Amino acid sequence: MAQRAVWLISHESGTPLGGIVKFSRRYPTVEKRAKVFNGASYVPVPEDGPFLKALLFELRLLDDEKDFLESRDSCSHINKTSIYGVPVGGEELWPVVAFLKNGMIYACVPLVEQTLSPRPPLISISGISQGFELLFGVQDFLSSGQKTDSELNTKLSQLSDLLLQTCPFGTLLDANLQNSLDSINSASVTHLQKQPAWKTGTYKGKPQVSISITEKVNSMQYDKQEIADTWQVVGVVTCKCDLEGSMPNVTISLSLPTNGSPLQDILVHPCVTSLDSAILTSSSIDAMDDSAFSGPYKFPLTPPLESFNLCYYTSQVPVPPILGFYQVKEEEVQLKITVNLKLHESVKNSFEFCEAHIPFYNRGPITHVEYKASFGQLEVFREKSLLVWIIGQKFPKSMEISLSGTITFGAKNHEKQPFDQICIGGTAYLKTGS
Amino acid sequence: MGPLGRETWAQRLGTFRASPSAFMAGPEGEDLGRDLLSDLRSEKLSEPMKVALLALSLEYPDQLWPDAPAAEAAATSLLDTLVLLPPRPSALRRPLLLAATTALAAGGALNPASGASGRLLPLLLGLASGRDLGRSFCPASEQRPLQATAWECLRELESCRPGLLGGCLGLLRALLGREGPAQPLSLLLALALRNALVIQARAGAGLQGLLTAGESSMEGGPWNWMLAEEGEVHLQPQAPSWPAAEEDECGLAALELSPEEARELRATVAQLLDASYLLTPVAQAQLLWLLGWALRGLRGQPPVLFKPQLVRLLGTAQLTLLHAMLALKAAFGEALFTAQDEALLLRRLTLAAQHPALPLPTHLFYLHCLLNFPENWPLGPTGEEAAPLLLGSQLCRGLLPSLLHEPMALLARLHLLCLLCVEDEEKEGKGQDRSPRHYLEELLAGLRQRAALDGGPRALATLCFQASYLVAHCLAGQPVVLIPLTQGLAQLYRARPALAPHFVDLLDHVGPELQEPLRVALRQEVASRPGREEALRWHLQMLASVADGDAQSATLSFLRAAAAHCTDWGLQQALLRVCRALLRAGVGGGLADLLQELARQLEDPDGQDHARLYYILLAHLAGPKLGVALGPSLAAPALASSLVAENQGFAAALMVQEAPAPIRLSVGPRRAEGAVPVLRLQVEVLEPVYSLELRFRVEGQLYAPLGAVHVPCLCPGRPTRPLLLPLQPRRPAPARLAVRALYSTPSGLTCHAHLPPLLVAFADLFLPFPQPPEGAQLDFFEELWDSCLPKGTESRLWCPLGPEGLEALVSRHLEPFVVVAQPPVSYLVAIRLPPDSRLLLRLEAAQADGVPVALRTDDWAVLPLAGDYLRGLSAAG
Repeated sequence: MAQRAVWLISHESGTPLGGIVKFSRRYPTVEKRAKVFNGASYVPVPEDGPFLKALLFELRLLDDEKDFLESRDSCSHINKTSIYGVPVGGEELWPVVAFLKNGMIYACVPLVEQTLSPRPPLISISGISQGFELLFGVQDFLSSGQKTDSELNTKLSQLSDLLLQTCPFGTLLDANLQNSLDSINSASVTHLQKQPAWKTGTYKGKPQVSISITEKVNSMQYDKQEIADTWQVVGVVTCKCDLEGSMPNVTISLSLPTNGSPLQDILVHPCVTSLDSAILTSSSIDAMDDSAFSGPYKFPLTPPLESFNLCYYTSQVPVPPILGFYQVKEEEVQLKITVNLKLHESVKNSFEFCEAHIPFYNRGPITHVEYKASFGQLEVFREKSLLVWIIGQKFPKSMEISLSGTITFGAKNHEKQPFDQICIGGTAYLKTGS
Repeated sequence: MGPLGRETWAQRLGTFRASPSAFMAGPEGEDLGRDLLSDLRSEKLSEPMKVALLALSLEYPDQLWPDAPAAEAAATSLLDTLVLLPPRPSALRRPLLLAATTALAAGGALNPASGASGRLLPLLLGLASGRDLGRSFCPASEQRPLQATAWECLRELESCRPGLLGGCLGLLRALLGREGPAQPLSLLLALALRNALVIQARAGAGLQGLLTAGESSMEGGPWNWMLAEEGEVHLQPQAPSWPAAEEDECGLAALELSPEEARELRATVAQLLDASYLLTPVAQAQLLWLLGWALRGLRGQPPVLFKPQLVRLLGTAQLTLLHAMLALKAAFGEALFTAQDEALLLRRLTLAAQHPALPLPTHLFYLHCLLNFPENWPLGPTGEEAAPLLLGSQLCRGLLPSLLHEPMALLARLHLLCLLCVEDEEKEGKGQDRSPRHYLEELLAGLRQRAALDGGPRALATLCFQASYLVAHCLAGQPVVLIPLTQGLAQLYRARPALAPHFVDLLDHVGPELQEPLRVALRQEVASRPGREEALRWHLQMLASVADGDAQSATLSFLRAAAAHCTDWGLQQALLRVCRALLRAGVGGGLADLLQELARQLEDPDGQDHARLYYILLAHLAGPKLGVALGPSLAAPALASSLVAENQGFAAALMVQEAPAPIRLSVGPRRAEGAVPVLRLQVEVLEPVYSLELRFRVEGQLYAPLGAVHVPCLCPGRPTRPLLLPLQPRRPAPARLAVRALYSTPSGLTCHAHLPPLLVAFADLFLPFPQPPEGAQLDFFEELWDSCLPKGTESRLWCPLGPEGLEALVSRHLEPFVVVAQPPVSYLVAIRLPPDSRLLLRLEAAQADGVPVALRTDDWAVLPLAGDYLRGLSAAG
């Protein structure tokens, strides 16, 4: 249930090592247990240098892809989870939980309380999910509000103290690191009776509950008769409950608008105390019919102090809000693109902002753009190989806008340009946001 | 040494962290632990610096204090430092507690004999239970945080030394009922309870009132180590902790609880579970794991206690909570989860495995959980990944792989799809429009299409082959899947031969169901190529892997065509590797021709040698032996490099061994003809030899170095032809030839033998002059005779004759050299002695016992040899 070591590694392709260990923490008492539990199959946690190298290789993040390497490219070397065996000093350190997110590799080694040969199934190792939770927690902490490098460095420097608080001996006590930071800063808070561990203090002031809903639409539009377009709404309900008392009881009830599509695939925050079975079973796996549960969706809960994601859901709306047409033609070093966007009439034509991102992958920087837009302006991010079409706060009356242009790219300079495995050649996508 | 400055420490810590082992091996390594402890009390260092020092000791106690006595001393010093802190708020108390705990637990110093343990444990328990330790120890504001820390320290000690807190169970229970933070106490109680149950079950004892013992039990007196001593056994490698394994392993069934104890236990567990909502989600998950472990297999403890928690947990997106639920499922099975519950759990898991709001690593882990789902009534063998029975194809619809997925997600989903295809086998042909199999085929085709992109990233190719491997592995018994897979892969090769290494790798790993047909398809694919394209290197690599005894002619003609384009060393070696593969496969006739061609044609000497070697091996070794010679050596571990492997394979076979001579050589009767003297060597074979090479060395450099003589095979009892050894004398003189033989034995060994030296006689060098035209012989001889002087010399001697007389002597020894014969009166003999000497003899009327010989030569040195020769003739017979 404990972690033997934790690392944060910034992935910097193009540098000699391919990355830098930004943070590492070892847990010697857990390591001692690992030695006993694992017995002959025990592999010690390596030092940062060798681990960095081996992990980057295992994650295929070193840049030398030129030649076939059996230890990396063999067909039988299959990883179906973010849990790896990392070769170190002739042995394999396993299990290493690791993933890359926004240029940072998060890694840890959970304790396995038994022998490692034969390898037990991952599902039987309690430390795996704890490890993930720890890494997600660190990730949330680093990414919350962070914009600049110096902010990131400040947060990294706080990590050591934070882990001393939330994970002093390798067993995670709270994945919400921000909470711990707050409790360090307000050490004098007196704990009342039965104060929940996930609530660092109490609120004093005017009671208010704020709720916001964010929805994202993923859509694939084929512009072909024989293939049906697909789209899905993914929503998240975020809450902030400023209420007095140590454990106020709150019930939040969500209702659909008239003719709204039912919510499905609902996942709730652990502070929700009970759930209607209709909410538990409503799922996009099932065929849609009128019997689908359409609310109201009630969530009785005891809220934490901070803002939290009350629930995530998906939904099937009858039409995608924006219909798009995007065509790419490659002519030597130039790309000719055509974009048409049409706002569906059922959507209110008023936005805080609306823009379309047109990224280009696996190419050099943009050197020249000629374009014609029926509406809005185009911003060019040359080094990022990105075009942003700023549509503004509303579509024109026709609800239809178009952009066509020719983009010239410079020579590919491997390290910096965006890379994507799928967007090769004429394969590309477009993202609209509002 | 006085306390180090801030800068020095910062630098030291930096160097240490960069590579602890290097630092400890350096000059400063030895003192680090000591300096750290002493400088913690230094007035000069700031608190943050001291916290940094303690942080280091939390991570690397093994390096700082490598053995138990050192750890004990360090813990004592840390405790002293803690006690000596001035009674004002300080950031050091917490890390000092953690550091002392770490030093004891990691250093193996936690035991009844340890003084530091004896001090730390009561201190921690006192802090934790909120006992008043006096204002001098810490200010009131720090009491709460220190209390939590003390709980954590105790929990860690209990983890490292199960049973340590067994005596405190009653106290912990009592404290849980009071105010104060619930989380650390709950976790510690659950852990201590689990450990106590396991230890007591092993000892065959009950709980012995541990749960009801009052608070007074731990006060004052010495620490109760009894349970911990028994617990030593517990921290051994356990049987699989996943509860689905053998129930007996845990052995809790052996625990005899009195009804009262059982009631107390139930009450404790209920108490813990009721307060669990106060814990953070990760701590709740830990609690559930611990209690699940504790109660599994325990009689009289129905798992229904967990039920109220389950509904709440099912709804969350929290990874740890769902995972803990799966652990409970595995621990209690049907006793806690009915079939409907199981179906609901599967449904939630399926949903979570694809929920767009969750990150990829979570999806992947849930997919793993699906394939390893602890079913109530599993059908298949345990330990193998399988789709749960209740997971119908409808549920899986959202889990089908697509080309847009990340490689790992694609593979995980593909695995599930394969498992569905296995199930689907029976339903085949029932008119489903889009069966999993069709879906699978389309997906694989898409993957191949992407892998075929020229210049595409290697990761895409790797993914395609991983998918193919996975499919071949899961669906080995389904030709209906494997046939299109084989065809598709062959097409992929056609489109992008540069993927040859991936194909070779795939062939090495898949089972025969795919391997055999794929091998044939790829061989045909390669052999149908013109053999002169850029991809030749790949074709050759491919062929080296797939070539075998079948379709030899196509393969050989491809190679023949390719040979002309193998201009560099690498290509030639690749070509030869194919030949080698063919050799091993036992391809004969055509290959021999090809190898001979290569031996002549290849530009690189190494290539030539290899071709020749293969040819010789092919010509002289029988099939099985060839396999042994070419196969990798079993004795030495195989290396990846084919060149090394090749050499290793030969090492045993080509190690030259000294042996007694297997043949005898003698110089046979010679024929005086040709431009140079040629020795005719008679061979007597004592034992069979193959690939015989005879090497000759002329003693005294009288002749130019002699070439070796090669004989493919010699067998005793079979007639042998004489071996011809041409000589190139630098001076016309007899010589001794040292002879060595190199050969292979029938057992495949290469041997080396010294043969007795061979003597080349003076007469062996004789060559006739070209025959002059008829009638001009006398003039020819006279001309030669005259030309010898004045440079040369003339002599007369007496050549003794045996009973046969002159005619017989001449015909036996000098016949080829006679220019003019007038028997029995006179013979004129002219002998050419290479390199450029001559010997002329006039044998005149013979008398009873000899014949006078007049001789002339243009080379002084020849005279004594000629004399000896003539005088020896009669003796020679």
